Amino acid sequence: MRLLEFQAKRMLQEHGIPVPKGVLMTSPGEMNKVTYPSVLKAQVPVGGRGKAGAIQIVRREEDGAAMVKKLFDATVKGYPVQAVLAEEWVEIRKELYLAYLIDKENNLPLVMASAEGGVEIEEVARKNPERVIQKHIDPFLGLQDFNLRPLTKALKAEFQSLRALVEAMVRLFHEQDATLVEINPLAVTAKGLVALDAKIVLDDKAAYRHEELFKSLQAEQRGFDKRVRSPSEELAEGTGITYVPLDGDVGMIADGAGTGMLTLDLIHQYGGKAANFCEMGGLSNAETMEKSIQVILGNPRVKVLLIGLIGGMTRMDEMGEGIYQYLKKADRRPPIVVRICGTKADVGKARLKEVGIEAYEDLSAAVQDAVRRVKEL
Amino acid sequence: MAILINRETQVLIQGITGKVGSFQSQIMKDYGTKIVAGVTPGKGGTEIFGVPVYDLVEEAVAEHRIDAAFGFVPARFAKEGALEVLSAGVPFLVLTTEGIPELDMLKIVHFAKIRGAKVLGPDTPGLISPGKCKLGVHPHALFMEGPVGILSRSGSLSYEVARVLTSHGMGQSTVVGIGGGPIWGLSQQEVLKMFQDDPETKVVVLLGEVGGRMEHAAAEFISQHMTKPVVALIVGRMAPKGSQMGHAGAIIEGDEGTAESKIAALKKAGALIAKSSVEIPEIIKKIGV
Repeated sequence: MRLLEFQAKRMLQEHGIPVPKGVLMTSPGEMNKVTYPSVLKAQVPVGGRGKAGAIQIVRREEDGAAMVKKLFDATVKGYPVQAVLAEEWVEIRKELYLAYLIDKENNLPLVMASAEGGVEIEEVARKNPERVIQKHIDPFLGLQDFNLRPLTKALKAEFQSLRALVEAMVRLFHEQDATLVEINPLAVTAKGLVALDAKIVLDDKAAYRHEELFKSLQAEQRGFDKRVRSPSEELAEGTGITYVPLDGDVGMIADGAGTGMLTLDLIHQYGGKAANFCEMGGLSNAETMEKSIQVILGNPRVKVLLIGLIGGMTRMDEMGEGIYQYLKKADRRPPIVVRICGTKADVGKARLKEVGIEAYEDLSAAVQDAVRRVKEL
Repeated sequence: MAILINRETQVLIQGITGKVGSFQSQIMKDYGTKIVAGVTPGKGGTEIFGVPVYDLVEEAVAEHRIDAAFGFVPARFAKEGALEVLSAGVPFLVLTTEGIPELDMLKIVHFAKIRGAKVLGPDTPGLISPGKCKLGVHPHALFMEGPVGILSRSGSLSYEVARVLTSHGMGQSTVVGIGGGPIWGLSQQEVLKMFQDDPETKVVVLLGEVGGRMEHAAAEFISQHMTKPVVALIVGRMAPKGSQMGHAGAIIEGDEGTAESKIAALKKAGALIAKSSVEIPEIIKKIGV
């Protein structure tokens, strides 16, 4: 879960990392809480907010009202603004970059730092890789002073205060099961180091270790997320089914991520357009299958449904049963093309025959049939 | 020969008495896999389809030579289970579990490195050396013995490609699922090296997907060290940026995460690029293996 800025900053503050004083507004009516000069920041979960105009510095109080209203009226990269963080304006001497994350190529925690903060770090790394310091941290030793010395040197920072800050970041990272804690920019001010912006991503796979925290963060985010959701997206939420909406008319369901992506590529290759990507996950049963069909057919644009199954862990008797159950109950029944093979495929196929579906053995044949049927409609 | 597992491999199953664990273990055993011990805490001293069950991995290791362990362990107990196996000195662990917290995975992988052990996965169907040994949940009827080595991030895609190859009479030496990520034990590069060194494997099929830059590292390895032909299929050409495509590791975040970038790197490294599973046997036929 990617936190909104104000949530990330609250978490930083709880771990002893200084952030600017701020108030969160949830409507323009709360603008009397703001003191000037102020930095107004739309709370949307996307990067590049500065360029998108979602961050505004307002020096004079008389300009405040118009700007607050303008931000609340804005939609940033698909997100209608529902909350604005107003922070005190801080005099900056220097902007640094600091992050703690998992380096997935080397399977090690990594601390990253640069004296060039405030800009996209990928940009700095591309143009001047030597200006981005990267140091691996041993997962069993944890952060050591020798890890920090090269950072202090590169950032020309004071050792004690930088150490306190990085240690706090690392503590937060491990205690909250984060996968990324990024402070950019980290401002050098007269009062010391201050986190001006922060991005924290928590590991959803570790949510069970932080149930209360996850629930409250999610509830908070849902309140501020007024994106228009399709019926399919709403049906898929919380089911464990991966659903990615696309803009075509061939609905698809796969029982594996790889064959799912292959199916998308094949639909395109044979001249069709997929309406979505959908993968059921490793431990799916008849119920998951039935639910997945409901999700996909919740999209009115779907003209043909293509179900591609190749079971290992997933049992095809269960899958056949799920499709059967859907067809027994449902009113919406567009043409359904099924490919089924693998564990207990014979039982699944026999069940499908009862509802008039002749399942394919070959994936590309099934995809071609689905694309052809859309064109015939 | 084959890689990682063969006819002689003696296997321990963690979670052998669970619903999925017992169902899949029975299939593996029927296939011919030498399952010599199972571990389920609290069920020590019992037997399941003729296999002795122990409470602790160390008890099983004291009684049997264990070459590989296979875990049917829920995500929240996966770290504990894996560390127990590695501490007992088992040299190879297959982690099927999906959804293991990333910080737990870092510890498992790091500990394995210190112990000199290999970890395959997580979120993998395991691996199969057709006709010899199956350490996984593959629909094995789709596989046959032969000279093609397959490594795949996706389980289902490896089944699909094996099925297509088998239908063309092209058997497989070993089919390895390295897992859905985003943290991996064995990498594509390490498995490529094993195939390069395996006399039975004549051609290697690399099945990759969007997300991360593992295929770029694999491409570097191919250009420098592989003398055997490599056929590569990268799926997710139509995947939109920023969406997670079913696997935790399948999400396009940087330029290098796209299918185009991976295909370009692999092509440059000398790999033969297939656009879909159907093209793979055609390409292998042309190579003349």
